[in-house]
Amino acid sequence: MLEVSNLNVFYGKSQALRDVSLKVGEGEIVALVGANGAGKTTLLNTISGLLRPASGSVEFLGKRIDRLAPYKITKLGICQIPEGRKLFTDMTVGDNLEMGAYSSVAWKRRKETLEQVYQVFPVLKERRKQSAKKLSGGEGQMVAIGRGLMSNPRLCMFDEPSYGLAPKLFSEVLEVIKRLREQGITIFLVEQNVRQTLEIADRTYVLGNGQIVLEGKGKDLLQDEQVKEAYLGL
Amino acid sequence: MIELPRLIINGIMTGSIYGLLAMGLTLQYGVCQVLNIAHGEYVMLGAMLTVTLSTAFGINPLLAVAIIGPLLFVIGFLLQITLFRTLKARAPSPPVFEGNALMVAFGLFYVINFVGQMRWGALTYSNTYLTDRVRFLGTSFGLNQIIACVIAVAIGVAMYLFLSRTRPGRAVRATAEDPATAGLMGVNTNMILALCFGLGTMLAGIGGIMISWRTPINTQIGFNNTVIALVVVVLGGLGSVPGSFIAGILIGIVSRLVSGLWEPLLIVPVYYAILMVLLLVRPAGLLGKR
Repeated sequence: MLEVSNLNVFYGKSQALRDVSLKVGEGEIVALVGANGAGKTTLLNTISGLLRPASGSVEFLGKRIDRLAPYKITKLGICQIPEGRKLFTDMTVGDNLEMGAYSSVAWKRRKETLEQVYQVFPVLKERRKQSAKKLSGGEGQMVAIGRGLMSNPRLCMFDEPSYGLAPKLFSEVLEVIKRLREQGITIFLVEQNVRQTLEIADRTYVLGNGQIVLEGKGKDLLQDEQVKEAYLGL
Repeated sequence: MIELPRLIINGIMTGSIYGLLAMGLTLQYGVCQVLNIAHGEYVMLGAMLTVTLSTAFGINPLLAVAIIGPLLFVIGFLLQITLFRTLKARAPSPPVFEGNALMVAFGLFYVINFVGQMRWGALTYSNTYLTDRVRFLGTSFGLNQIIACVIAVAIGVAMYLFLSRTRPGRAVRATAEDPATAGLMGVNTNMILALCFGLGTMLAGIGGIMISWRTPINTQIGFNNTVIALVVVVLGGLGSVPGSFIAGILIGIVSRLVSGLWEPLLIVPVYYAILMVLLLVRPAGLLGKR
């Protein structure tokens, strides 16, 4: 579904990603883990079109997308739920959700999609008139995920959903992610919280200093003591 | 004591035009991050083009809004999509872009001002329109003033409804707050920036058209209007569109009171005195967020 090949990305002169290649197959939950500053968000922003790679390619459903503007990539069915939620704080919860359905196709279906989102997160229906500024961490993350789902994505990319959440709340988020996969949405999950992430991932890539240093089944990586010490800090 | 109500109503009428100019400037700064020092030059273009249209082609100065408004929108739209967009793409960081954009806006100020002088020379034109007086509250007001005020308020309300109720309006607010995330939502942010810049120059132009209905004009009226719009925008809270409109009306009232009861030369110093006090007491402006 998503294929990243030999991607090189720079910020000015410093290289943030080095020859990164990875694949996400339809219906999978693929995780990307790595320490702070390893380049995880850079990779997501490049896939979403916010950054331009110096070389390499990104293909989605067989089509090159690495030169497209972000809004076109969203329209193709990729959503990114950004790190730190990035809600529109001068809007209500309901308006934030509607912003997620901004693309023309999603806009036409927004009422049905909204009902589906309220089914996943019933509390958002009660909060819909409330300002997005005054939400707890968990509710904020629900709005961010709900807003992403409003675009009817085929591939949903989560950037650090554990950010600011207690472990128990993060477990709930992971449950939601599993349910989304059951509904046919492919998941690319980028996390620092390694242990819980590897539990639900089908496959995992480890990113270190801008390079893919390791790839494997989530549970295998957890069992490998050397890996745990060297890359996962467990 | 008929003097005071008359001055206040006059102030509201003048201020509604200031509000229009300031809304334009705040859209350009709040969304596009361009502090458009050339803003007043679009006011000048609107005013001078109205004179040319009516003297050379006999076009009604009210109808000029329908011609000059869209023309200035296109100019602003193109400026954003070519000049400022490229500047932004080349700038290493947002603060560098803001600085560069300010310098480029200064350049545009001189360019447009010079083009204006070449076309219209140093003459002052009087092309007043609808000068009939309408009597109410025991005194009289120019019909041109009343119509300008009605148009300005209508545009102010329309802008407010556009930003708060419509899909593209919400995209404007989203882009102002966080352009990257707005892009992730599917917003074509380059289009939104161009739309906002175009609306900004259009509002300046319409303000200029309405100024030409009742005041003699020349190619040098721009800078003074930029100065007023800047004060109004800061007073209203940078980036707040409703704040700009309200602050415009307040500044209008202040200007009439100062010139009517005290001394016309003191208008601009008083603006800045108010601005300085406000920045000390409430640095985010009247309706500012931070």
